[in-house]
Amino acid sequence: MTEVKVKKESTDPVDIENRIKELCQQFPHGITDQVIQNDMPHVEAQQRATALNRLLSVGQLDLLRNSSGLLYRLKDAQSASKVKGSDNQEKLVYQIIEDAGNKGIWSRDIRYKSNLPLTEINKILKNLESKKLIKAVKSVAASKKKVYMLYNLQPDRSVTGGAWYSDQDFESEFVEVLNQQCFKFLQSKAEAARDSKQSPMVQRNSSFATSHEVWKYICELGISKVDLSMEDIETILNTLIFDGKVEMTIIAAKEGTVGSVDGQMKLYRGVNPIIQPTGLVKTPCGLCPVFDDCHEGGEISPSNCVYMTEWLDF
Amino acid sequence: MTTEIPRYFLEMTAQEVRLCGLLLQEHFGDVVEKVGTHLIRSGVLTLRALAHETKLALDLVKKSLCVLVQHGMCTFGPGRRGPAGPVEYRINCERILHMLRYPRYIYTAKSLYGDTGELIIEEILQRGQMTMSSTVKTVADRLTHNMPEGQSMDYSEVVSAFSRLVETHFLQRCPPMASAGSSSSGAVDTSLPVVTQPAEPESNPECYKLPYINLTGQGKRRRSSEDGEDDQRAAKKAKTDNSQCGDEGIYWQVNFLRFHLHFRDQAIISAVSCKLDQTSSEIVRTMLRMSEVTTPAHAAFTQALSANEIFRSLPSNYNIARPILDQYLTLLVDDPMEFVGKTGDSGGGMYVVNLHRALANLARATLESVVQERFGSRSARIFRLLLRKRHLEQKQVEDFAMVPAKEAKDMLYTLLSENLVQLQEVPKTPDYAPSRTFYLYTVNQLPTARLLLQHCYKTIGNLIERRLYETKENKRLLEKSQRIEAILASLQATGAETAQLTEVEEMITAPERQQLESLRHHINKLDSSENQVDETIFLLESYINSTQASR
Repeated sequence: MTEVKVKKESTDPVDIENRIKELCQQFPHGITDQVIQNDMPHVEAQQRATALNRLLSVGQLDLLRNSSGLLYRLKDAQSASKVKGSDNQEKLVYQIIEDAGNKGIWSRDIRYKSNLPLTEINKILKNLESKKLIKAVKSVAASKKKVYMLYNLQPDRSVTGGAWYSDQDFESEFVEVLNQQCFKFLQSKAEAARDSKQSPMVQRNSSFATSHEVWKYICELGISKVDLSMEDIETILNTLIFDGKVEMTIIAAKEGTVGSVDGQMKLYRGVNPIIQPTGLVKTPCGLCPVFDDCHEGGEISPSNCVYMTEWLDF
Repeated sequence: MTTEIPRYFLEMTAQEVRLCGLLLQEHFGDVVEKVGTHLIRSGVLTLRALAHETKLALDLVKKSLCVLVQHGMCTFGPGRRGPAGPVEYRINCERILHMLRYPRYIYTAKSLYGDTGELIIEEILQRGQMTMSSTVKTVADRLTHNMPEGQSMDYSEVVSAFSRLVETHFLQRCPPMASAGSSSSGAVDTSLPVVTQPAEPESNPECYKLPYINLTGQGKRRRSSEDGEDDQRAAKKAKTDNSQCGDEGIYWQVNFLRFHLHFRDQAIISAVSCKLDQTSSEIVRTMLRMSEVTTPAHAAFTQALSANEIFRSLPSNYNIARPILDQYLTLLVDDPMEFVGKTGDSGGGMYVVNLHRALANLARATLESVVQERFGSRSARIFRLLLRKRHLEQKQVEDFAMVPAKEAKDMLYTLLSENLVQLQEVPKTPDYAPSRTFYLYTVNQLPTARLLLQHCYKTIGNLIERRLYETKENKRLLEKSQRIEAILASLQATGAETAQLTEVEEMITAPERQQLESLRHHINKLDSSENQVDETIFLLESYINSTQASR
């Protein structure tokens, strides 16, 4: 605790305010009312309250609540200047939006938090937007919903959808291209291993690629405009598993090995399907869209089936 | 020895009944079809009831039942009124459906035992049951007919092929009748007081014992210039040949179960070869061969084999070192498909082939293949995803499969409407309110396999009906072509001139020839696709039976 200089007693409101600001600077985490009282015992509660309110209204102090009571903190000079010239309501709304961080907040939620009528909210939002203090970001989950966040913040992944979304559109082609590239990489690795004619164990081990290797390969290919993380590549590799083209094993890896996450590494390998396309799908009936309506003597029957006629003449 | 759960104790679906009817008609004609179909639909009937309900003459019904019993498609036994009452008859639908697979059985016999084996199996399949001596004589005659002039097939060669088929259990003795039946198998006689149903073939300890037969000689060549009619009659009635050979009353039938095990093994070996490599599949083939006779029919895995034994039994042209074999075995065990499992460490490691697991994997691959071909690769991705992850919400499906929300929804609803995917509701509150319920998509492999099996039955029925239709449409043309062929054959036999032959040939016009050619092409295509669909049926049936046997 630094020593407090005993100043000449003064009840000048400006002095009180300045004193409070100095105390805030001394305690950057915030000061409680108790601290102010200890410092200036001669100042009455009423005067203290006035001073605090004035500082709050000009936006030089932040009012926070913690478990033990109210805290007053000095606001950044920068942010203080930003909202200068705005009235209280705007400041309130701005506060709420700032608190929402990079996830953004929906206009209806702003209304609940501030208890302001809808028309007021809309006016304020338009105002703030024109001052380039906030921006609206379309959410990928519901395309009509707009969330507001501070102008210079990067929207969070859950809002924009991450690497696979650009401007709210799911980039199917991009995913497809990545899918094919990863598969080609793994397939060529497996073929190289097979052709190497070494002992089977070595062959199998060399046909595996870690997710880190695949990630590096894709990054070096340079087909992606956005930066892709290893997790992104792993989601692509998972889709290849669901396509039945790739299988995955997890092995324990020492911490610190390149590409290991939590002491594990994921290995991927291209595989072949275990059967040829099954007999049923080689017939027109196997693929027929009106299979259930077909019976002898009906409008659609094997005797007059056009699919069969085409297939037989093929 | 475990036995197959007789499928005729379960209900037959409409598609199965339809298919059985089509097969009976094609192989045995209208009367047998009528009797057979009626019996399938009614379950169990006595002779009188059957004749009354089908409104056919008693004589005809008797003959139809004879045919069916001869082929093992119909069984009889004491009726509801006990041993003193009339005998009741029951159809074995599964046996009728095996008729689809006849080409595959014959082809397998050919690949394993050559032309002789092929003809033996073909003859026995055609007649249902035969004695060894009559089979040998008939097959020898047929083989002789195809040999160049002057040569003939010796009986002993056919006997040795027959013996090999019995040794490897592809042929088995028909279960002996407990009652004093006549020597022609399965003769129906309702006046006998005690008639018991034949037991399972393998309960007979002499099931695979070859009888001593007194048969030497060679096949006789049929001359086409001699009484053609006599020969035809003789060929049909080969069964009632009067010369005694010492094996009267011992009839042989095809052991379908053994063939099915062979097909199952083939499927597993081919899957291993696709997934891993040729050498691994040879190792699995060796393991299956070694445990052929020691593994019960519906076991979940083969007998445990030690690595030492496997090493000794590998084919001689596979020159791999012992440590390399160990590596291959380890890789087989580690493979996610789990074809092979390790059960112990003695003898260098004890290994088994996981039969039920392999069948489940094959069935799963079949289901996935159908979804992929019918609905596209992205729907197949969603299907595989649900098979792996069991239960997923809509949003999770979209995220894992990386498919845009709208398309994912569309695909899931299509799969749902086709019953390939099911919806499971998990309520958060007791009132099942939609906004407070989880809706989870899921795939159940067994019911989906059953559904696809029914589709297969319907598909084959469709293919057969189309084939019959095509033949019927072109009946006039086919008959004309047959007449022309007969005229040509007789002209050639009597040494006609080339000019005459050409004149007759030209009676079929060019467009007619083309039509005939296209008809032949159509029929062949329909035939071969029946066989292809039967392969799917085999995999699905084996999988479904394996799940029931393990209960």
